[in-house]
Amino acid sequence: MSFSDFHGNSEIVHTVREMLTRHRFPHGVILAGPAGSGKYTLAAMIARAMNCLNPPAGDGFADFCGKCSNCIRIGQLEDLESRCAEAMEARESLKESEKKETRLFIQTHPDVLVIPPDPPQMMIKVDQVRRVIESIYFRPAEGRERVFIFTDSAFMKEAANSLLKILEEPPDYATIFLLTENAGELLPTIRSRTMTLQLRNLALEEIESYLARHRPEWKPQQRALVARLSEGAVGRARNFDLEGYSAARADALTILKTALSGSDHTELFKITETYRAGAEGREKIELLLRCLYSLLQDLLFIESNSAPLVRNTDVMSELQKLSQSADFAWLSSAAERLGDVERGLRRNLLRSLSLDAFEAALEKHPAGMRG
Amino acid sequence: MPVEAIASSAIGTSTMEITISKFELLRELAATQGVVERKTTIPILSNYLFEAGGDRLSLTATDLDLSLRTSCNAKVKREGACTIPARKLHDYVKLLPDADITIKLLENHWVSIRCGRSNTKMVGMARSNFPSLPVFPTANVVKIPAQVLRGMIARTSFAIANEESRYTLNGALMVLKPESITMVATDGHRLAHVERSNEKFEGVSGELKTLVPKKAMDELRSLVDSTDVETIEFAKDDSTLFFRIGQRLLTSRQLTGQFPNFEAVLPKDNTRIISLHGEDLGAAIARVAQFADERSRAVRLKLEKGELKLSASSTETGESEDSIEVDYNGEPLTVGFNAQYIIDFLKAAGAGDVRLELKDSQSAGQLRPAESEDYKYRYIVMPMRI
Repeated sequence: MSFSDFHGNSEIVHTVREMLTRHRFPHGVILAGPAGSGKYTLAAMIARAMNCLNPPAGDGFADFCGKCSNCIRIGQLEDLESRCAEAMEARESLKESEKKETRLFIQTHPDVLVIPPDPPQMMIKVDQVRRVIESIYFRPAEGRERVFIFTDSAFMKEAANSLLKILEEPPDYATIFLLTENAGELLPTIRSRTMTLQLRNLALEEIESYLARHRPEWKPQQRALVARLSEGAVGRARNFDLEGYSAARADALTILKTALSGSDHTELFKITETYRAGAEGREKIELLLRCLYSLLQDLLFIESNSAPLVRNTDVMSELQKLSQSADFAWLSSAAERLGDVERGLRRNLLRSLSLDAFEAALEKHPAGMRG
Repeated sequence: MPVEAIASSAIGTSTMEITISKFELLRELAATQGVVERKTTIPILSNYLFEAGGDRLSLTATDLDLSLRTSCNAKVKREGACTIPARKLHDYVKLLPDADITIKLLENHWVSIRCGRSNTKMVGMARSNFPSLPVFPTANVVKIPAQVLRGMIARTSFAIANEESRYTLNGALMVLKPESITMVATDGHRLAHVERSNEKFEGVSGELKTLVPKKAMDELRSLVDSTDVETIEFAKDDSTLFFRIGQRLLTSRQLTGQFPNFEAVLPKDNTRIISLHGEDLGAAIARVAQFADERSRAVRLKLEKGELKLSASSTETGESEDSIEVDYNGEPLTVGFNAQYIIDFLKAAGAGDVRLELKDSQSAGQLRPAESEDYKYRYIVMPMRI
């Protein structure tokens, strides 16, 4: 395990290693990049490079061995989802009164603290930042540098403000990482106190070559498809659930088809019925919306004679068929209405009804008018 | 055998079986509960580390800033180590009858606890998840009498700042010299300074300055209170402070930063001096403070010939005045102080007379016990505008 295992964005990785080698790594860093581009992975790698006990000489730039006790323990952070689940479980087992006052933290090494957004609001709260402030002035115990990783930029207002204090004057041995999909979401006062490293989307070929190494069990066509669908994000590509995506996309296609043909609604109702209320249905409808957007975008590509850019290549023939009846005006109003659906969902509108309404509003030949 | 040695002999084994008396185990569990973090989502921190070796069991609790390791006699059938959920274990052992307890590590980190006809299983975590613990240095160990340390902590720890923004004040400064020990704590509004000379600290040359974090002070105090050990061994390395109290070893991460130059604020020419009964002053201030502004807690002290008048008023509650007879012939003087700060000092100073030393209404006041006891104790309070 070393920096060479980080896929893509080699210029950024190189910059990071150069700064580490010269002991010029900034104390506050915003790591920005799309979901799945490796922000967290990179932060965890830097934490290891800062604290590795046997750094390999290698190419003369800072690196980590991945085998010493510091590397191993910091490496346990990598599976963020399972660590978050453990932390949630630990909180659930507390007494009711203490549960309310307990905030989520993940720590597998005494000197590296990960601060995930605190459920159920999924925001970083002021108590979490306070804990960081209390702890940051304690010197490193087993490593050389103390590292704090905020995995999300959704800060409660007070939390963001109290973070300013330590970003302004962190102790020599401390580094604070702020991970975000969009650096603009952070306060300008935070941005001005930090350095931003922007991870970019990877090219199709890069993702495909990555998948060839890490998902050899997939068929080449499947890898090509996933590379297109993951929008240049390595993390998303590696864990791509093609089956789940295909199912959601089939639903999305049916919705669009019904809207364009205005024919029989039985199929549509059968589908929208399955988008139920409640927390467990949320992921399902979010995936569906993502598929709808992706299909609309592909239709737009076909419409504007840019078929090679189409992502959902495996359903090309169906897309071609749809594009015959979908003109630009229809596509743009569909995208707009999809935005309405998203806003409605945030206000807890019924999911099945929102989808039905979305379809009905887009019907080219409303059923009632044909007779 | 010191606790560290048990630990090292137990590493690398995945079995453990011991028998231990309930009384001894419960005593050590109770002593370490303070360090176990209650509100944490880092699972390993709510666990004890048990390590059995020789004829001792060592148990460790940590919240990563502070860790406490202790040990007790045990019949060790198989040496080894395991982790056990700390609170559940403490709660459960409390309820067991006074008899021997057998603790055995099973597969998959399950731990069985048997006592008489009671039988319980709990699941711990892998030993390797437990943070590794700093090792007590072999050189430069300073022996401090337990009573002295207790006295110093009691006289200073209340003045440590709680404000997160002034991090260099979040601990007390301990200064060791070959023949004296000094402890200073301040929150920027008041400062407690206690010194004890005519001691002998071997291994100290020149000046050994250490910033002791508040949490460590509190824990140290309760450890010293619950022991009959006469001397405490103190040592430090680059990152950690060590206090060994008999079989218990408290370690704390060090704070960063420089303690402010407190000597500059120690008043030098506070020449208006009165002597008071601590109890009288405390009672009068407590009464008057009921009518002080709730946020500032400001109380007015008016020093006149033969009399100290204390008064406070607020628009909501009314006004109140108390007067104490004093031996004073100088110029009149009015000064304001935070009532709570004075009450804190009187509590720490204990019974007996106190001297109040003032300069003018804009300068810090100094309080100290009138009879110079073994401790040279002084307490400085900043004045308030009233």
